[in-house]
Amino acid sequence: MSINNTECKYSHSKNRMAKIIIKDSIKSLDKKEGKKIKLIWLEAAGCSGNIISLLNAESPDLKYFLENMVKLVYSNSLMRLEGEAAFEQFMDTLSDEYILVVEGAVSTKSNGMYNIIAKYEEKWVTGMEAVKLAGERAKYILAVGTCASFGGISSARPNPSGSLSVKEFIKKEVINIPGCPANPQWVIGTIAYILSFGKPELDDKGRPIMFYGITIHDRCTRRSYFDKGIFAKKLGDEECLFKLGCRGPVTKTDCPIRRWNSSINWPVGDNSPCIGCAQEKFPDGMEPFVKY
Amino acid sequence: MGTITINPVTRISGFLEITAEVKENKIINAESKGLLFRGFEKMLQGRHPLDAIYFTERICGICSAAHSIASSLALENCLKVFPDENDKMLRDFLHGSEIIQNHIRHFYQYTIPDFVYGSQINSVYTVQHNDFRLPEKINIKITGHYIDSLKYSRLSHKMLAILGGKAPHNHGVFVGGVTVNIDASKIIELKSILNAIKEFVENTMIQDVYTIADYYKDYFKNGFGYENLMSYGLFDSYKDKEMFYLKPGIMINGKNHKFDPSKINENIYFAWYKSNKVEKNPMEDTVDENVDKNNGYSWIKAPRYDGYPMEVGPLARMWLCGDYKNGISTMDRTIARVLEVKKIIGIMENIIQRVVIKKTSQKILDIPMEAVGKGLVDTSRGALGHWVSIENKTIKNYEIITPSVWNLSPKDSNGLFGVVEKALIGTEINDIKNPVEIGRIVRSFDPCVSCAAHVINNNLSKIEIRLI
Repeated sequence: MSINNTECKYSHSKNRMAKIIIKDSIKSLDKKEGKKIKLIWLEAAGCSGNIISLLNAESPDLKYFLENMVKLVYSNSLMRLEGEAAFEQFMDTLSDEYILVVEGAVSTKSNGMYNIIAKYEEKWVTGMEAVKLAGERAKYILAVGTCASFGGISSARPNPSGSLSVKEFIKKEVINIPGCPANPQWVIGTIAYILSFGKPELDDKGRPIMFYGITIHDRCTRRSYFDKGIFAKKLGDEECLFKLGCRGPVTKTDCPIRRWNSSINWPVGDNSPCIGCAQEKFPDGMEPFVKY
Repeated sequence: MGTITINPVTRISGFLEITAEVKENKIINAESKGLLFRGFEKMLQGRHPLDAIYFTERICGICSAAHSIASSLALENCLKVFPDENDKMLRDFLHGSEIIQNHIRHFYQYTIPDFVYGSQINSVYTVQHNDFRLPEKINIKITGHYIDSLKYSRLSHKMLAILGGKAPHNHGVFVGGVTVNIDASKIIELKSILNAIKEFVENTMIQDVYTIADYYKDYFKNGFGYENLMSYGLFDSYKDKEMFYLKPGIMINGKNHKFDPSKINENIYFAWYKSNKVEKNPMEDTVDENVDKNNGYSWIKAPRYDGYPMEVGPLARMWLCGDYKNGISTMDRTIARVLEVKKIIGIMENIIQRVVIKKTSQKILDIPMEAVGKGLVDTSRGALGHWVSIENKTIKNYEIITPSVWNLSPKDSNGLFGVVEKALIGTEINDIKNPVEIGRIVRSFDPCVSCAAHVINNNLSKIEIRLI
């Protein structure tokens, strides 16, 4: 056997190997990218806290979410592009298949001028216009957070900005993922369901039943105190917070079992009442938050 | 001569437009317009005073604990409540967790993509200019740190949630301190997380900012601003030096002055508001809007201290306390923010070392018929103030001046530019088609427009202005 036969068949190109591998990986990444559905994450009239909550996701984390689940094409908080070039990426996506995530309410006062999100072809684009544009063509619309789902804080009385929920505004089917903010697992979990099985089962308020089917009160860790009539008298007490104004009985989320921030804690676990931040009447109908 | 418009200025919190007039490649005029109208001050009128804490948090998704703290301080001032020392320490630790979270995210997720070619895993990382100067090897390394950093900002919020229930929008900060009953298990958990973050900051983040500074030395020579600095003080109630950061302080034209909150006024000359006077104190009633005002170009009012526009934020703090004296520029601002993370971690280590195991001292609270109070505190982006007046046991007036209002303000009636505007004017733009300098200078201030543009009164039916 000659020496030549044992040589690596790529040896002639070893000086160029790194380049070839890089090219191949880019190609395979492109392929993978091509298969993933595009996602527009549109921030509208709100605090932009839901994208921060998404960054808190642990399993899967943002890296896994972006590499393996969706092709994020637009995000005011994260994208490298700025100015018109950034918004072009939004416009370019509209002819494709995509999921639209809206966080924040749709501010409608004065034709939407309370919330301008970009300047495109010399004109201002309002949050309202962007929701309409992207909402009309989206394969799925997810309203993430209580403002997008139900109006939330942005529409609190006297609602100076004329804020509406995404569904009130667009009058199309919207998957609501309320919470102030939405727990990142509710968001990624819903998208994971969509990617594998299509639309999840929703309740009459458009919420995925898998996360919003049962009241906080039903699964509260302090439920036995309630049943025995033992109540906290002030914040910091470790009994049932019902008499301080806890909204667990009227708020449907899985907070008591899922908890927050890598499942480390939740408001009742911190000796403070649930304020019903995922409830459709939040905040006006949930006040006072703490009743003394 | 031409005008450059950048909208959206991405990688900030909220929506901002910057316009810059350029003559012979130099910015000669700039306007900072950050507007998203929700009208928190109007919404708060008539609500239960204690609700302000959880309500005002919702102004901002990235610095919500800051608002809960300023609001609690303002209410403690009204209710004459003085938090127990242990609870105050825990609240400060919680606040530190938020600042670390903010600074890590601002540096890696918001700033790094301006300077590092980085990841192409998703369309969000598409590039639009070619002023990327790092050698390929270093590019790849820092891109890896962008991903690593996600873990450490998440862990910072986890510390916040251990003490505050959840983040963003915690429940633990309240009048009287915190609601958590601290125990040995929580303390050791906080210590171990803090230790992991410290290793990342000291071994990675600080090196990364100096590496970038090395390749972008020209950014020490732009974005100066006025060099007038202000802080309301942070972690300043301790006699123990190891827990202390800085007292309130002012530097104007290179001279230090004693901070006097009565010298804070808001000027509305170039903002869309009307009032019988062009300048008012935050304790006075909220002004009404006037969108037809010819000279108006922003919904952000122009706060001034004794008539001066003041820069606030990590660089102001690090400079005023004497820890950082290299300079006041785009890159200095970015470096000071990173170095401040190390400083705050040190303070938090000392706080948690001294916390004792005991239950929270929360009490049943009684709301007075009438009261006024203010809560001034430095937070992630600088000086934050909440002013509240109570009448008939409900909120009569609520005024908020956020750090980004100080930095992003428009001009005032004396023609003085806002801080960011001033920092842009005079900047040389290298490639007019790719004015990368503008975004880099603006982001060095870590603008938060969610915070800055919370003010609105009512009805804007005749609006014709182009706002953002």
